[in-house]
Amino acid sequence: MSDLDRQIEQLKRCEPLTESEVKALCLKAMEILVEESNVQRVDAPVTICGDIHGQFYDMKELFKVGDDCPKTNYLFLGDFVDRGFYSVETFLLLLALKVRYPDRITLIRGNHESRQITQVYGFYDECLRKYGSVNVWRYCTDIFDYLSLSALIENRIFCVHGGLSPAISTLDQIRIIDRKQEVPHDGAMCDLLWSDPEDIVDGWGLSPRGAGFLFGGSVVSSFNHTNNIDYICRAHQLVMEGYKWMFNNQIVTVWSAPNYCYRCGNVAAILELNENLESEFRVFEAAPQESRGAPAKKPPPDYFL
Amino acid sequence: MEWESDERELKAAGAVALGGGRVGFLIRGWEIETCKRSILNSSLLQEWEEKLQTSHLPEMVFGESCLILKHVSSGIKVHFNAFDALCGWKLEALPPVEVPAAAQWKFRCKPTDQVILDYDYTFTTPYCGSAGVEKSPESGRGPPDERSCSPHWEDCEEQIDMVALAAKEPILFYDEVVLYEDELADNGISLLTVKVRVMPSGWFLLLRFWLRVDGVLMRLRDTRMHCSFRESAEPVILRESCWREATFKALSSKGYPTDSAAYSDPGVISERLPIVMRKTQKFIVK
Repeated sequence: MSDLDRQIEQLKRCEPLTESEVKALCLKAMEILVEESNVQRVDAPVTICGDIHGQFYDMKELFKVGDDCPKTNYLFLGDFVDRGFYSVETFLLLLALKVRYPDRITLIRGNHESRQITQVYGFYDECLRKYGSVNVWRYCTDIFDYLSLSALIENRIFCVHGGLSPAISTLDQIRIIDRKQEVPHDGAMCDLLWSDPEDIVDGWGLSPRGAGFLFGGSVVSSFNHTNNIDYICRAHQLVMEGYKWMFNNQIVTVWSAPNYCYRCGNVAAILELNENLESEFRVFEAAPQESRGAPAKKPPPDYFL
Repeated sequence: MEWESDERELKAAGAVALGGGRVGFLIRGWEIETCKRSILNSSLLQEWEEKLQTSHLPEMVFGESCLILKHVSSGIKVHFNAFDALCGWKLEALPPVEVPAAAQWKFRCKPTDQVILDYDYTFTTPYCGSAGVEKSPESGRGPPDERSCSPHWEDCEEQIDMVALAAKEPILFYDEVVLYEDELADNGISLLTVKVRVMPSGWFLLLRFWLRVDGVLMRLRDTRMHCSFRESAEPVILRESCWREATFKALSSKGYPTDSAAYSDPGVISERLPIVMRKTQKFIVK
C-alpha cells in the first residue's frame, strides 16, 4: 500500500495527518490544480455535491449513498470547511482523493475557501487546536487559491458555488480570470462564489448589505442561452429539502450538509448524472449519533445569568 | 449531548416529568416545557412569508420550537416562539446596515436595471416574550382565550436578584431553544435563542437576540425573567430588558480588538457593549 493510500485510509477514520504529511500532500495537489481551467471540463457520469462544512461523518454518509470515489466520479462545489467540527479531516480527505484520483474527483472553490472567512468561521481555530500552530491552515489556504472557480459537465451543465455575475456573460470571460489569489471583495471572481438567485427580482438585485448580487430568472435564461447550456447547478444556500429548482428548472441549488450545524434537522442531497446526463437526486440524512466517534460528555449545569 | 436532570434532585423538589414524549416538568404549580424541532421546510416558509407579508425570512427558522412556562392554577402563560419575534422584526423595520465591502461596491460598475433591496436583513427584533392568561378548561368551554383577561407588563422598581441567582443551587431543568438564526450570508450572525433553568427556589430565563455584522456593529438585546416559587396563588414575574450596542469603530477607539473572531461569544463580551436601554417590569393580571 502506498503512503497516499495509507493516508486516505487514515483520513477515512477521521484521523488527521501529521503537519509534514499535509505539507507534502498540498504540494502534490498544487501541481494538479494549477493545470486546471477556471471552467474545468468534467465528463459524465458524475455526482455533484454541495456544501459540506466540516461535517465529516455526514460526508461519510454521502459516500455511502453515492458510493466511494473512484467507483463514482465526484464534483464538489466548495465550502468544504468552517462551521462543522472536522474541517481539517474533511478537506484533507477530499484533497487526498484528488491527488490519488485526479480525473475522478473535481473540487471547485466556495466562498469559505478563503483566508479571511476561515479566520472567523472555524477552520483557522480548528487547525490551531489540532496542530498547535497555524502551519496547516497556511498550507490549506494556499491550496484554496489554486482551486478552480467552476466546472462544465459535457458542455451542458454549468456548475459554480454561488452564482452569476453582471461582469460575466460568457464562459470565456471566466476562463481569463486570474484566480490564484485570495477571494476578492468585489468583481467577477467574488460574484461567482458569493451571489444568489432571487425570486423577487427578474434582472439584477443588490443585497441590502450593500455588497452581494442577486440574480433573477431573466439573467439565468440569457446566460444559459448565450452559453448553450441546459441549466446551472450551484450550492451556497441551505435548502431544507436538500435541493431546489428555480426559474423553470434553469438553475438548481444542491445542499449536502444534513442537519446543518448539528441542529437544523434538514436533509441533504447529491445530484447523480448518468452518462446521458439524466439526473437523479439522492437525498440523505445525518450520520447517527453512535457513528460519530466518542460521545460528548454530559455538560455541567449552565448557571447563565 | 443534551443536559440531563438529576433524578434524586427532581424528586426532592417535587418535580414531575410531563411525560408523553414532552420535554419538561411540572414543578411547584408551573408546567415548564421546551419543544425543539427542525427548521421550517420550504412550503411552511412560504406560508410564513405570506402571513408576515415579507419575501425574506432568516435562513434557519425554528418555527415549531418553543419554550412555554404555564402557571396551572392562574392560567398565566409566558412563552417564546419565532413567529411573534418575527412580527416584532417586521414592525420595527430598522434600516439596513451596510457591510464594509459596500464602500468598495459603490464604485463598481453595476447593471442598469439593478433593484436595491432594503429590508432589515439582520432580523433585529424588540421581542421580549409572549404572555397571556389562559382560562382553565373548567371555567369555560371552547379553546383557551388569552384576551379574556388583560395581562400586561408594568414598569417597576424591583430588580431581579442576580446575586441570589449566582448561588450554585441545584439545577433541576435546563434547556436552550434556538428560535431563529441567520448567517447574514457569511457577514456575521443573527441569532435569537432562549435559555431556561429551573431551581428549587424558582425559574430564570434569558431570551437573547445577538447580532454581529462583521466589521460594522454588534447588538445584544437581552430579556431576563425570574419567578420565585411561593405559596401564594398569583406568581410574581419580573422581566428585565437590557439592550446593548456598539460599532466596531467605537470598540477600536477604546482599544478593544476589532477582529470578528474575538466576538464569537456574546456572554463573554457583553460588558464591552454600552447599554442603550434598560428597564424592569412586573407581570400584572387585572
